[in-house]
Amino acid sequence: MRSYPAVVPIAFGLFLAVGVPASAHHAFGAEFDPNRPVLLKGAITKVEWVNPHAWIHVAVEKDDGTKEVWMVEAGTPNTLLRRGFTKDSLLPGTVITVDGYQSKDRSNRANGRDMTFPDGTKLFMGSSGTGAPKDGKDPTEPKKPKQ
Amino acid sequence: MPGPILLALALMAGQDAPSKTWTVPRTPDGHPDLSGTYDTATLTPLERPAQFGDKLFLTAEEAAAIEKEELNLSEDLARPSDPEREAPPVGGDGSPGPYGNVGGYNFFWIDRGTEVFELDGRRRTSIIVDPQNGQLPPLTLEASKRAAVRRALYKENAGENTGEAWWVEIEGPGPYDDPEQRPLGERCLLGFGSTSGPPSLPVLYNNLKRIVQTRDYVVILVEMVHDARIIPLHREHAPKEIQKWMGDSVGHWEGDTLVVDTTNFGKTPALYSASENLHVVERFTRIAEDTILYQFTVEDPTVWTKPWSGEYPWVSTDAPLYEYACHEANYSFGGILRGARLLEAEAAERRK
Repeated sequence: MRSYPAVVPIAFGLFLAVGVPASAHHAFGAEFDPNRPVLLKGAITKVEWVNPHAWIHVAVEKDDGTKEVWMVEAGTPNTLLRRGFTKDSLLPGTVITVDGYQSKDRSNRANGRDMTFPDGTKLFMGSSGTGAPKDGKDPTEPKKPKQ
Repeated sequence: MPGPILLALALMAGQDAPSKTWTVPRTPDGHPDLSGTYDTATLTPLERPAQFGDKLFLTAEEAAAIEKEELNLSEDLARPSDPEREAPPVGGDGSPGPYGNVGGYNFFWIDRGTEVFELDGRRRTSIIVDPQNGQLPPLTLEASKRAAVRRALYKENAGENTGEAWWVEIEGPGPYDDPEQRPLGERCLLGFGSTSGPPSLPVLYNNLKRIVQTRDYVVILVEMVHDARIIPLHREHAPKEIQKWMGDSVGHWEGDTLVVDTTNFGKTPALYSASENLHVVERFTRIAEDTILYQFTVEDPTVWTKPWSGEYPWVSTDAPLYEYACHEANYSFGGILRGARLLEAEAAERRK
């Protein structure tokens, strides 16, 4: 019926395609700067499991070897809680990769446009469709890319 | 009558028995018991996709295709990304609407249901049932003008995001001058997309509602943003001067249907485009053990050229409705305003 952009980290489905005012808690366009893309890799130092958006803190190593902490804006934790994820599902020390755009206020904040583990698998994605934790029993479970 | 036919009739009667014998549970005062937690998520949109024209119902195949499309999308977006990927493009990724040229966040945060909704055994193309084409009626001329002004001012909310303080060049107030100019959702005053209503509409996530009912009050707790609609029964509306974020609601029973009438809205009701002249009538009827039929009629003669109506089911759920404290961690709001100040300062510097 419709085609979707190949790589888009957010839904452009039926709801948005028929002219209903698409909305979210805030307009990402108001907060983030399209001229300042970022790729952040590092270990999580803290997860703020809060509404309206969870914030994941990541210690990113800079070119000179020092580290700086970035805050990555995510979605509402309620959705994940209902699928069985808890505060223990993403712990400090876990290394992640995030791409997004820096906030317009130039603080070390960015949107979590795509948040993955270093091998590219998505955070919080288990067996497809159900969102249940990975247990290898779901034949449709995304396979890890070859290393 | 031959034995097999008798047997078949007996079996059919047996199959029908549960629906015929179901009676609505009642509270001690005799009214239907609407209390419970409900999930209002559905893939059926408010407005009907154009290809269905005046058709209110989907065939089983059409419904399956929509649900499969959603499943395919979620599976596509669940696939691993390139571990060697680079930062997204300078100048933006072109994403539309509120994703504002910078993208949003991963699909696993979204929870807008997996099925189109069904009433009387038939799946629906849209929530809107009147007008017959399933579309919102045309806006009045005045409302069209207001909408155009708003679209031009709130460009970043509509996807036009250049990362520049373009508004310093225009006459009059800019979109970020005052916190009170910002959308109610952004300010954590109401959930976005009319999740609170009235009328209550499905949104991208957190579609749970909890109904608590007594003889004199019905309360609808909306998960996002912890909005509680307190609806007194058999009472007059508050004086016109008293305006409320979700309007002033009063209810009464018409037979086994709870009818809720809401007026006294502020200038910006949760319902997109509506004004302080909004009037909403909602009807709640428990039609099955696990289902409330939710119907509503909207009128605002200063916005729409005629009233419009919709309906969809609220389906009971065992899932818990969670707290949604919003202000405390609404870091985005400060970031948006600080960002605007910084971009304005840069624009001023360039003009020197």
